[in-house]
Amino acid sequence: MKPAALAGLGTGVVLALGVTLAVRLWVSGAAERLTTPEAEKPKVAVADQAEVGYCTPQFKQVLERVLHSCGLAEGDSSRRGCQPADVKTFASISDADFNALFTPLKERGAVVLFDQGEDKLDDKAKKLLEDKWFARKGARYFFVVARASKSGTQDKNRALSHRRANSVMYHLNEVANDPELEQKVGLLWLGNEFAQLSKDYCSWPSSRPEEKCEDETINRSAFVSWVDCRL
Amino acid sequence: MPGPKSKLPAVLALIASLLGLLFASNSTLDYAKHLDRRLHDVHCSFIPGAPATAEAEACRVAMYSPYSALLKEHYWGGIPISLFALGAFAFFTAFAVYLLVYGPRAPKLAWQFFGTVGLVPLFVSLIMFTISVTKLGTVCKTCAGIYISSILLAIAGILGVLASTREAPAEPRATVGPALSLIWLISLATISLIPALVYAASAPDERPYLSKCGELKQPKMKNDELVKIATSHPLQPTLLFEDPLCPTCKAFHERLVAENIIEKLDINLALFPLDNECNWMLDTALHPGACIVSKAVLCGGSNARAVLEWAYEEQEYLSRAGKNGPDVLRAAIKQKWGETMLKCVDDRKTDVRLNNHLHFASDNNIPVSTPQMYLGSHRVCDEDTDLGLRFTLGQLAPEVLK
Repeated sequence: MKPAALAGLGTGVVLALGVTLAVRLWVSGAAERLTTPEAEKPKVAVADQAEVGYCTPQFKQVLERVLHSCGLAEGDSSRRGCQPADVKTFASISDADFNALFTPLKERGAVVLFDQGEDKLDDKAKKLLEDKWFARKGARYFFVVARASKSGTQDKNRALSHRRANSVMYHLNEVANDPELEQKVGLLWLGNEFAQLSKDYCSWPSSRPEEKCEDETINRSAFVSWVDCRL
Repeated sequence: MPGPKSKLPAVLALIASLLGLLFASNSTLDYAKHLDRRLHDVHCSFIPGAPATAEAEACRVAMYSPYSALLKEHYWGGIPISLFALGAFAFFTAFAVYLLVYGPRAPKLAWQFFGTVGLVPLFVSLIMFTISVTKLGTVCKTCAGIYISSILLAIAGILGVLASTREAPAEPRATVGPALSLIWLISLATISLIPALVYAASAPDERPYLSKCGELKQPKMKNDELVKIATSHPLQPTLLFEDPLCPTCKAFHERLVAENIIEKLDINLALFPLDNECNWMLDTALHPGACIVSKAVLCGGSNARAVLEWAYEEQEYLSRAGKNGPDVLRAAIKQKWGETMLKCVDDRKTDVRLNNHLHFASDNNIPVSTPQMYLGSHRVCDEDTDLGLRFTLGQLAPEVLK
C-alpha cells in the first residue's frame, strides 16, 4: 500500500477510534454523575411568606397564641377575636412588653383613631385602613388591636373596644372582597385594662395626624398592621 | 490559483478539518455534559481551545433549540447534530493527510471526491446558519467556528480540484479506480455515523428522574384566578410560572412555539415577576419593571397571550425601560395597549391580583426561579424544560407531541 494511503488510513482509524472513545467517555461520565452525583444540586430559594427582622421568637410566640387562642388558626367563626382577659392569660407578658413587641411595626402599620365613646370609622380612618390592607405584600396575617381610653368603666370600655375592632373588620369585609378574610384578620380588643398606649405612640402614623394627641386620644384607637412573619 | 505542485489546498484542508473537529468536539462535549441533568458552562468562542464559560447565552440558546439534535422524543436531549460533524471532520482530516502525503501526485479523482463531498459541510452550515439567524435570532460562536471550518474546507476542495487539472511535468498524477470513490463515500458515511451510534447506545436512561421534582400542594388558587393563555387545541392541563421580563421564560416560550407544543397545552399562567417592587421573596430586583409588565398581562384578560408575547418580543426594550423607572414602562404600555390598559395596570385591584399570584407561589413553596412548568400537578424539572423538553413531554404527556 502506498505511503499516502497508509497515512490516510492510519489517521482515519486513529481519529475514528479517538472520536468514538471520547464520545463514549463523555456520555458515560455524565451517566456516572447522574447515578452517583458528586455534589448536591445547588439549593434554590423556595417561595414563602415574608419573614422580616422583627419576627423574634417572643413576638411569634405571642402572635401564635393570638392565632390559636382566639380562634383564627382554626377558622372557627363562632369564636373570633380575643378580649382583654384572654390576652392577659395567653400573652403572659407585661403591658409594656406587649406594646414593645409591636414597636417594629411602626412603619408597616397605623393607628386608626375614633371619637370619644364612638366606634364609627371616619373617612380618613377608612382610607388609612384600606391603604394598609392593600399593602399586603408577603404577609399572611393582619392584626387589629383595638383599645379604649381610661374614661368610663372597664366593662363599657371593653365593649367599646370590641365594637371598634368589629368596625374595622366590617369595613375590611366591605372593601376586601376576600372570602378568606376571616382566616387573615386577627382581632384583639383590650378595653382600657391591658397594654394601654403611652403618648409616645402619638408619633406613629395615624388617621388624624393634624389633631392634638394625648394619652387618652391615642387609646381611642385600633392599631392595624400586616405582620410579615411566618407563623 | 495554486500550481500543480502547491501543497496549499491540502494544508488548508487539513487545517479546516482539524478546526472543524475541534469545534464539533467542543459542541458535543457541552451537550454530553448536560446528560447528568446539571447546568454546566459551555464553550462559546471563536478561539480554538478557549475554555467553557457561564457567559454563553447564544450557544445555550442554540443548544436548547429544536434544531440542535435529532430524535429528541426518543432520547433525552436527542442526538446532537455535532456528532455527525465530529465524524465527518475526522474523515476529512484523514483524507487531508492522505492528500498532503501524496503531494503533487495525488490522484485527480481523490481531489474531485474531496472537492465534492467537501461541499456537504458547507451546505449543512448554510442551512444551520439560516436557521440560527431566522429562527433563533442569534449565532453561537462555536457553531460559527464550524461554519468557518466548512467554508475553508470547501475552498480547499475547490482549490485542490482546480490544481488537479494540471500536472507537474516530472510528476504525473497517480490514477485510482472509480470504485475507490465508493469506498471513500462509505467510509465517510460510516465514520460520520459512528459517534452518533455510540452516543445513542451509551446515553443514560433519564426516565426515572422525570417525575422527581415535586408537586403542587394547592393546585387551585384560593381567592383569585390564574391567567388563561389561549391556545388552539388545549389538551394537557399545564400551569406555568413566568416573569414577562425573564429571558429564560422568553426562550422557553419560543421553544414551546417552535416545537409546535404550545397549541396543545391547556395553559394557566401564574405571574411570578422577579422584581422586589412587588415580590417580597427577593432582596433586589432581577428584572426591574417586571411587576408592572406582569400587571399588564393580568389586565390583558382574554388577550393575555398577546400581551405576554408582546412583552417577550419587546423584552430588551422593556427591560431597559424598567431600569429607568416605572413611568417609562407605563408609557410603553399605554402606547401599545392604550389608556384603558394603563388604568387597569394602575388599579389597586390589579395590585391585589398580582399579590394573589405571588401568594399562590408562596402557598405552593415553588422554587424562586422562572420559568416553571407543571403538567397537571407534577412539576417538570428545570432541565426537562430545556434540553429534555420533547423527551419529557413524550413520556409524561405524549398526546402533546402528536
